[in-house]
Amino acid sequence: MVQQPSIYCILPPHLLREIAQRGTPLQRERALQTIQAAEQVRARRRLARELAGLMAAVPGGGKQRFVYDAREGTTLPGALIRKEGDPPVSDAAVNEAYDGSGVTYDLFYEAYGRNSLDNNGLDLKSTVHYEKGYDNAFWDGQQMVYGDGDEDLPASERLFNRFTIALDIIGHELTHGVTQFEANLAYWDQAGALNESFSDVYGSLVKQYQRRQTAQQADWIIGEGLLTANVKGVGLRSMKQPGSAYDDPILGKDPQPGHMKDYVTTVEDNGGVHINSGIPNRAFYVTAMEIGGFAWEKTGLIWYKTLTNKLTDRSTFQEAANLTFEAAGELFGKNSLEQNAVKTGWAEVGITIGSQAPTGCLTSLLAYLGLTTQARGQSK
Amino acid sequence: MKRILFERTGGLTGRKVSLDLDLDQLPPDQARTLSLLLEQADFFNLPADLVPPSARDAFIYTLTLEAEMQVHTIRFGDTTAPNALRPLLEDLSQRARARRV
Ligand SMILES: [Zn+2]
Repeated sequence: MVQQPSIYCILPPHLLREIAQRGTPLQRERALQTIQAAEQVRARRRLARELAGLMAAVPGGGKQRFVYDAREGTTLPGALIRKEGDPPVSDAAVNEAYDGSGVTYDLFYEAYGRNSLDNNGLDLKSTVHYEKGYDNAFWDGQQMVYGDGDEDLPASERLFNRFTIALDIIGHELTHGVTQFEANLAYWDQAGALNESFSDVYGSLVKQYQRRQTAQQADWIIGEGLLTANVKGVGLRSMKQPGSAYDDPILGKDPQPGHMKDYVTTVEDNGGVHINSGIPNRAFYVTAMEIGGFAWEKTGLIWYKTLTNKLTDRSTFQEAANLTFEAAGELFGKNSLEQNAVKTGWAEVGITIGSQAPTGCLTSLLAYLGLTTQARGQSK
Repeated sequence: MKRILFERTGGLTGRKVSLDLDLDQLPPDQARTLSLLLEQADFFNLPADLVPPSARDAFIYTLTLEAEMQVHTIRFGDTTAPNALRPLLEDLSQRARARRV
């Protein structure tokens, strides 16, 4: 059975209109359905944006933070410690989660007009002190969760500090929420690595935004301060030079590639989503350096438009490249400095912008319309 | 003979840590504790696949127990670990992190 392609599919409208006019009755019906579905999505997104604008006009109607304490347990969200407007408490992790989600909210709101993760004022919930010896942070689909690192091991054996210590990690986790509400990228293989990369991109931009750093001034390190002095390394990842963040006898070497020729094929980590994200990470870094200035302003906007309006759940690196290029053209003009910068960014990692519409999406659409290569061959 | 194979992948760093424990080779009190924790978790009756679909950066754990005539493997995430298994998970995680395989 042929499934209707995702309504978030990027459709070449001229092709659809052609089919709606000249196809068989079934093809015409399906083409019209697809056009209508795309229109509805656009209308919904427009409406969400307008509502967000109204919400933001109401004092306190936007940013709503809640920080909970799991007290080394695993029950979520745990005990509420600090909510929006409350003064700082004595627990550093609580204040870091509160402040970090605040800066993340501010970046998305001020740079892209986005009102929280769902663009509709969703509460920002964070839980700290999750489990004992939990050297990780995650987004559970509804909230952020942070561990305290290796606090349960002797000081000389600790590799990780508490995970709220790095602002870009907080930005990273929250961006998983944004992605979930937008392109909803799958969490395996290339779509998963893109999902990870968008989180690193906005995690890093949150840090740059807070420090008012230009692309040239930024360190492009993810998770600075997270590794203890026992580890030879500067952070978890480097967007500038993937693979160079750490090289340590115990932790091993940073496994990230920065070019398609070094793409890692593995079944672990959902197909290496935290590994191959180095490739799109570096494409963003190169683009931002080409454009110059504050990276969240133009490069961040191009990526944001791509995430919220163009990508779909199964997008590939090639599609992301093509669509960021398309977004740059729409925002800054065809052949603009910005659009050429996007092309250079992807070329640096071994991906050439194609002039074709994304194949995965187009293939599924053509199949849905009964216009696969095979079907077309038979109809002749 | 009892053998525990423990693997943790995913997480924010994507780094794998693992553990291969032969209970006969462990100090008797440690072997007893682990056996007890396995019993409390009713390990052989736990469902095999408990990986949460929407979690991002969460760890994914794979735990195998080989004992006499039985072998059972289960996969689960941070938010879907059965409560009865949590004490064992904490013990194994700490061993794996301290050892840094
Ligand atoms: Zn992530």
